[in-house]
Amino acid sequence: MSLDFLVPSTAAVARSPMEREALRARARLETRDGWTVAVSFDEPEAERRACNETVAFADLSWLTKIELQAGAADLAAIVASCTGGGRLELGGAIRVGGAWWCPYTAERAVVLCEPGAAARVRDRIQEAAGVAGGLASAVDVTTAHGALAILGPLSRELFARFTAIDLRPQLTPVGGFRPGSLARVPGAILREAPDRYLMLFGAALGRYVWTVVSDAAERLGGRPVGADALEPFEERVPEAASHA
Amino acid sequence: MTRLPPQRGERIDRRRPVDFTFDGQRVEALEGDTVGSALYAVGQRTFSRSFKYHRRRGLLCCAGQCPNCLVQVDGAPGVRACTEPVREGMHVEHMNASPSLDFDAMRATDLVGGPFTPPGFYYKTFIRPRRLWPLYEKVLRRAAGLGRVAKSRREREWRTEYRRRHADVLVVGGGAAGLAAAAAAAELGADVVLADEGPAPGGRLLAEGGQDHAREAAEHARRAGAELLSNAPALGAFDGLVPVWQGDTLHQVRAKRHVYTTGVIEQPLLFPGNDLPGVMLSGGARRLVSLYAVKPGTRAIVATVCDRGLDAALALIGAGVEVACVADLRADAASPAAQALVRRGVELRRAATVLEARGRGHVQGAVLGARGGDGHERVMACDLLVVSGGGAPATSLLCQAGARTAYDAERGVFALASLPGGVYAAGEVAGHGELHAAELSGAVAGAEAAHSLGLGDADSRARAVAGSERLSRGPVGPSGVAVPPPVAGDRGARCFACLCEDVTAKDIHLSVEEGYDSIELSKRYTTTTMGPCQGRMCQLPAIRLMAAETGQSLEQVGTTTARPPWQAVPMGVLAGRPFEPAKRSSIHGRHRELGANVMWAGDWRRPYDYGDPRGEALAVHDAAGLIDVSTLGKLIVRGPDAGEFLDRLYPNRLSNLRPGRIRYGVITSDAGRIIDDGTICRLDDESFYVTTTSSGAGAVYEWFSWWLADWPLRVHLTDVTQGLAAVNLAGPRAREIMAKVSAVDCSSEAFAYLDGKQADVAGARSLILRIGFVGEVGYEIHFPAAHGEHVWDALLEAGADYGLRPFGLEPQRLLRLQKMHILVGQDTDSESTPYGAAMPWIVKLDKDQAFIGRWALERAAEEPPETALVGFTLPDGRVPKEGAAVLPESGDGQVGQVTSARHSPQLGQVIGMAWVPAGLARDGAEVTISDDGKRLRARVVTKPFFDPEGEVLRS
Ligand code: FES
Repeated sequence: MSLDFLVPSTAAVARSPMEREALRARARLETRDGWTVAVSFDEPEAERRACNETVAFADLSWLTKIELQAGAADLAAIVASCTGGGRLELGGAIRVGGAWWCPYTAERAVVLCEPGAAARVRDRIQEAAGVAGGLASAVDVTTAHGALAILGPLSRELFARFTAIDLRPQLTPVGGFRPGSLARVPGAILREAPDRYLMLFGAALGRYVWTVVSDAAERLGGRPVGADALEPFEERVPEAASHA
Repeated sequence: MTRLPPQRGERIDRRRPVDFTFDGQRVEALEGDTVGSALYAVGQRTFSRSFKYHRRRGLLCCAGQCPNCLVQVDGAPGVRACTEPVREGMHVEHMNASPSLDFDAMRATDLVGGPFTPPGFYYKTFIRPRRLWPLYEKVLRRAAGLGRVAKSRREREWRTEYRRRHADVLVVGGGAAGLAAAAAAAELGADVVLADEGPAPGGRLLAEGGQDHAREAAEHARRAGAELLSNAPALGAFDGLVPVWQGDTLHQVRAKRHVYTTGVIEQPLLFPGNDLPGVMLSGGARRLVSLYAVKPGTRAIVATVCDRGLDAALALIGAGVEVACVADLRADAASPAAQALVRRGVELRRAATVLEARGRGHVQGAVLGARGGDGHERVMACDLLVVSGGGAPATSLLCQAGARTAYDAERGVFALASLPGGVYAAGEVAGHGELHAAELSGAVAGAEAAHSLGLGDADSRARAVAGSERLSRGPVGPSGVAVPPPVAGDRGARCFACLCEDVTAKDIHLSVEEGYDSIELSKRYTTTTMGPCQGRMCQLPAIRLMAAETGQSLEQVGTTTARPPWQAVPMGVLAGRPFEPAKRSSIHGRHRELGANVMWAGDWRRPYDYGDPRGEALAVHDAAGLIDVSTLGKLIVRGPDAGEFLDRLYPNRLSNLRPGRIRYGVITSDAGRIIDDGTICRLDDESFYVTTTSSGAGAVYEWFSWWLADWPLRVHLTDVTQGLAAVNLAGPRAREIMAKVSAVDCSSEAFAYLDGKQADVAGARSLILRIGFVGEVGYEIHFPAAHGEHVWDALLEAGADYGLRPFGLEPQRLLRLQKMHILVGQDTDSESTPYGAAMPWIVKLDKDQAFIGRWALERAAEEPPETALVGFTLPDGRVPKEGAAVLPESGDGQVGQVTSARHSPQLGQVIGMAWVPAGLARDGAEVTISDDGKRLRARVVTKPFFDPEGEVLRS
């Protein structure tokens, strides 16, 4: 028996744990890759302003998340094979081919990618694990974590309202990956760009985390934005600054 | 109106009037005023009533250091008028006086109660008769405390932000030394935060003619990159974390290095009448003049032990106040300030001090003379008595951070003796009081802090060393201080050592007489230093008194332990935002729409019922029920050694489980006690799917991880609790409903009890476990949480024609009780073994594998348990409380307890589970249960109440 029952299916509606909160904030939903995604809210100008001038948050829970476990040497070999020689160091993630490779420990990492790229990433991991030869497992934990992108010049101020993780650039440069306590629950923060972060947290805590983030963002003049308000990544930028 | 002509550096803006009310009366103020300065300017002299004796209290320090000006602002009690900026329309009210500030009925405690209310009187007085305690408590609670918290929630709550701030260097104190330290560290590249309790950076400079200098120093620090926080007192030092309270924000500053430039706290003098309004510290008087252009009085007397008082006298003269006399305790005061006073014709009495303040409701005169009196006392009229007992280093935060102090006999204060690593001190708190020395010491401390972080270069290091040498060569400390006596004047008269708690010198004498002869004991007995000033005004006077009473030296008496908070702070500031981290299943929204009553279950929010628990339970037996069990813990255990791993963790055998089959398991501690239970489904040769109880999920994951870290097994563990939703579809129509949403063959031949299969349910790939917690044919369906609502909706829709109803936790508890399934933690406790819990069959002592708890369980198997978990029925229809006692057949005491009890509509009787003496664990035995004093006869049952042979379940 496989672990397919962990993977969301495109034949059933997949919803973010924060969908109801987004709807309450007047989100417009669209189905993409089987997920209902909050693509925009009702004030495009306000969304743009929040992204550029204060702080914005967007629900990206639909991102595929694959937990990779292997012995330290095997994990390094798998990552190197899948990323064209990339090397993970604790505290830093690497981005290759549209996927972030984020280490929790030397023996455990999470890979984040668009749902469309998930099958390809999974196959590459399987292949690389086969070559590495040791015990390795890749488990789809997409629905175990909620994900929020936090962006805008006040992003760090927003995080300061609910986490003690040190996000100053000298400790968390672009590509920095910092697991720790977020709003008193376990989570992790990935710095994707100078003013853009991705935070992960337990999916069952989605409503709570949304409430905390939204409360703090509102105070800073920020607001929720749709997935379409996010600029596509320039692959080159984070890679150049990554720990690869 | 006592407003002066414009003063250099005043903070007020004379073009911008601000109106507010005080006790309902309109007060005209100016932008930049504090409530205190504005009220003083319009003639208010009494600001509060004291805590115990309800004595009048007026402005003393004008710096937020004492308890004298506490008022209620817009419903919030305990606000210091002298530091609270005025705002248009604000409502200020007095506290702790009724019916009014001027006429306070409780003043009677001072007039008649004084001799009867020594420290600790309430411990001695209100203990008899005991039955009157509730009444005493009510009265005492009304009488005690300051101010009233608003009744309405809206008024009571205000928003406080937490702001975590990491920094390389935190500087506490924004005077000359602090600003220099911040600038020096920031110039070397350190990320610096400076927290200052004053309204603007500059400290004493602001009130002492150094406004421009302060502005430049602050600008310099800002330009260097330091973040300056004003109106931001540090509350404590907690192992590197320093909370800083700034209005509606609590900054939690975590810095690698800490520089304390907290200065000194001007001390009062102790003499009879020292608490009268009109007695003011020299710094307070100067602040009123310089910052707010308020004339503090018309005719002043100054009593001092150092140049502070002399400088204040000069400032008062400059503000047009007549200074009638200056009493300087030093016999040889000859500083430039002393000479200047003499030149202006002010009478300067050397070796003299104030022996008494006189007046009704306000100072009207003072008695001056030599300390202890020498027969040459003189009574002089005044409406302002300015005092200065010198400055005591503000070491509390430093001591909290690990610094030590020692008594400095020359200055009569406890000064810094040593600092822990990573902590620096500069400025007056470190003995560098003169402006240039303070700035140099700040710059050296800031640079050293930065250097210790690897910043700076050889040049900066050399400069710091040179600065440090200059400091060690230069004069240290104030130009000369006389140490004041513990009490000047008549020691038997009323003089207050602790203004916050109304503790007099005599009270400390009494506490020593009663045996509280150490400073820590006296503190607890008299509550000295425990009020809003946190010892700023009273610690040193109390130590001096204690030394005099006990005959010890001040060094021997020592100080009390410095503890947070250094600044009184509303609880709401510490509480933060009111959000509770609740877990919710992905179907939670649907439950709400269906009218579920929601309850806490561990850290989850779950439906208790949907309004009809009885009907919901019956529906499971009659048709079908659907319950959300997403909260179950869910673990993937993978690897070639996964079977062995589980064999080591569970007392039963799991490595021989066939793929696609399920087994129940309990997890035991190494003492053989039940810590959790759940099911284990083997997915393939190397993969198992383990479920745990909802509340045990986190602990079991940790337990597994802990052992896995120790055992050299090839196993990986993944917690998918929050990633998977799970629902249990149960009841006689469950099969038919399954057929409508899934292609899987649910016949009992193809899908037998304890089978696990993977199949699509309503399009969602699912793991379906045929198990039953509720006694009917059941399918526990596990699928990605994101499909929660989709699958739930599909099942309800498919079951609509079959009578399917959602059911909550309460009906589930009844259904499982009918089957006598245990709830770990409810039916078991920390002493329950599988033997006692009627599950001996689950312990496989014959398996080869050693497992956690084996040793203990082998012993438990040899010694039959004294009590056993059994079922019972109660013919008389009363449902006993969970926890009700099981009584012995004869005699007193308790021999067991009820763990669960419900009325079962299906069975038409009361059923339950209880721990009873092992000898009674047989069908038909009778036990007595005591429920709220009523004795009930119960009949023991050892097999499930419903479907005892499991035929329904397996069908
Ligand atoms: S006068 Fe306000 S705190 Fe002292």
